[in-house]
Amino acid sequence: MTTPSKALNRRRFLQTSAAGVGILAAPAIISSKALASSGEINFTGWAGYPALAEKVFPAFTAATGIKVNFTELPDQDAMFAQAKVALEAGGIDVIEPTIDRWGGWNSNGLLAPWDAAKLAMDNYLPGLADGSAGDRSRAGDQLFYVPSNWGTEALVANTAAAKLATPPSLGDLFNPENQVVLRPHSTLAAMGRWLDATGKLPRPWMDGYTDMAAMVELWDIALAEAVKAKGNVVQWWSGENEANAGFVANGATLGLCWDSTGFNLRNDGYAYVAPAEGAFAWHQGFVMMKNAVNVDQAHEFAKFVSTPEGAAGWASAFSSNPVGKGASDLMSPEVSAYYSGTFNDDALAKLWWWPEQTAEFIAKRGEYADKYKAA
Amino acid sequence: MQDLLRRYGATLTGTFVLLVAFWLLALVILPNVTLFEASFRPYLPVVDVGGPKDTYSFDNYRKFLNNPVDTSFLGISFQLPIHTITFLNTVLFSALVTFITFVMSYPLAYYLAKIVNPRALPTLVLLLFVPLWVSEALRAFAWYIILTFNGPLNAALVGMGLLDAPVRWQNGVFTAYDAIVIGLVYTYVLFMLFPIYGSIQSLDTNQIEASEDLGAKWWQTHWRVILPHAKPGIASGCVMVFMLSAGSLLVPSVLPSTKSNWFTQTIQVWMLESQDWNTGAAYSFLYILLCTVVVTLVMWAFKVKLSDIAK
Repeated sequence: MTTPSKALNRRRFLQTSAAGVGILAAPAIISSKALASSGEINFTGWAGYPALAEKVFPAFTAATGIKVNFTELPDQDAMFAQAKVALEAGGIDVIEPTIDRWGGWNSNGLLAPWDAAKLAMDNYLPGLADGSAGDRSRAGDQLFYVPSNWGTEALVANTAAAKLATPPSLGDLFNPENQVVLRPHSTLAAMGRWLDATGKLPRPWMDGYTDMAAMVELWDIALAEAVKAKGNVVQWWSGENEANAGFVANGATLGLCWDSTGFNLRNDGYAYVAPAEGAFAWHQGFVMMKNAVNVDQAHEFAKFVSTPEGAAGWASAFSSNPVGKGASDLMSPEVSAYYSGTFNDDALAKLWWWPEQTAEFIAKRGEYADKYKAA
Repeated sequence: MQDLLRRYGATLTGTFVLLVAFWLLALVILPNVTLFEASFRPYLPVVDVGGPKDTYSFDNYRKFLNNPVDTSFLGISFQLPIHTITFLNTVLFSALVTFITFVMSYPLAYYLAKIVNPRALPTLVLLLFVPLWVSEALRAFAWYIILTFNGPLNAALVGMGLLDAPVRWQNGVFTAYDAIVIGLVYTYVLFMLFPIYGSIQSLDTNQIEASEDLGAKWWQTHWRVILPHAKPGIASGCVMVFMLSAGSLLVPSVLPSTKSNWFTQTIQVWMLESQDWNTGAAYSFLYILLCTVVVTLVMWAFKVKLSDIAK
């Protein structure tokens, strides 16, 4: 009964302590090389994606001659804590948070802006480093964040049986003629965005992410509407397998699911469709420490991950999508055909990036999800 | 201890003791003490941990009473906090699971203990144990597959013409918790059967014969002679099945309907999705406390003492 959380704790403990050993050792490594030429970069990123160290870093070193000192940390809280230490002690140049989190890092005075002239901003696919994502990568006029990989949550539709509007919309999830498989908290956000798009909300849905009073006002409306439409839900999902079984075993015709679910069902008569309101999307990327020593190398590093080769390698390591133009051609042709089938330039530009969700927001969101499930 | 020392010598015995002590202390006691301490502190960003906001309070426990929603029971509408509803549902359906396992187990236990030919007993017990060879996760998934919309149960019933259209069994025919109850009964029925079997077996068969000789009907014999004797076994079976059901996370997660929520899932959401380990810990301890209260009340109502169960 408690096994999953226990396993997680132990795993986190091991990862954290392994990372801790690495951190303890880091000053020694750095100081021994302090006098050598700075052909290296100290990168702190996610633990558990071995293909980074096995494939991507060697390719980067081969391309640029810069060596990567990689510190693996299990989560963003640990990264943040470590960055605070590094602000005093040094030892980190680049870290990889998600787009919704770096703002808090910046307000803690941890970050230095990137010099866009030293990067290749044209390398990025449209919508990933420009548009709304571009705005959210900047503070003032300065660029603090560049993307490394991304993923989506959109409509998985049975091509024969799902009743889709033209163009397909998040509202199709609440059409009683569709049998749907959903996860509660995403569904409430989808309802909110749909109501927002059809002009049925008293204020913009995005307000809820910055103001808790607005959140309660908006989510109460979304909850009430979602409860009315709940009759067509055949199953909830929380992970990949459940989502898949919702379609295959429980006969759902439509769902709001991860891209991987759509990919796994692509040969069984299901399509992955971006709704007119824009697919839900997340991305993570690179920020640079205020006291980074290897600034030029850091720029080379971020730039490499925007090239076809680097972006493809990074996306493959995380089983997600690449940020660079031309990278999908280097991934398996099937994957690349699948993604370009769903996301043309227009759909890419419309991606709806999950806004920052504070701890208070997520706790409240969980309560709404519980009420929605119980209704 | 003396036996251990004599048999294995000081070094090995010392190692055993140290390993067990490490196991208990580092893997059981310390984590629980840490959780207990954490349950009184607020969930704060890393920056604020240890700062002025990091103080002890009952706030995490109070969340159990937040968020009243409209609900109804037996036609009466009223408001209850959402997590309290989840808790009450969990207790109610765990009790139902306990009752069903008892109804299934008692006749079988009596049959095994008093009627069956002793030479057939090992075979029968083996047959009962066979499902336990498969892991709990697979057994829950097996039920998931059986009950799904495109699953074998619907295929068979529709194929035989008993049903016109397939039924969404998982979403419940009687209640939203049908599938979970089925899964839990299947998973935990043996924890009821064997304690009852044990206690009925210890009853002298002469007493049953005496009861029959004195003219008692079969149900009177069960009610007046066998059941009272089996009470400790029934009580320990009930406590085990109830606590295991209430504490199960796997079955309610694999076999949920679109309306069900088990309290363990609420704890899991606090821990994993909200990443609020402090409230998760508070809910865990609250849950242990409340379940203990429920069990104690029921034992008091049925006049069972802890010492009876320990027999």
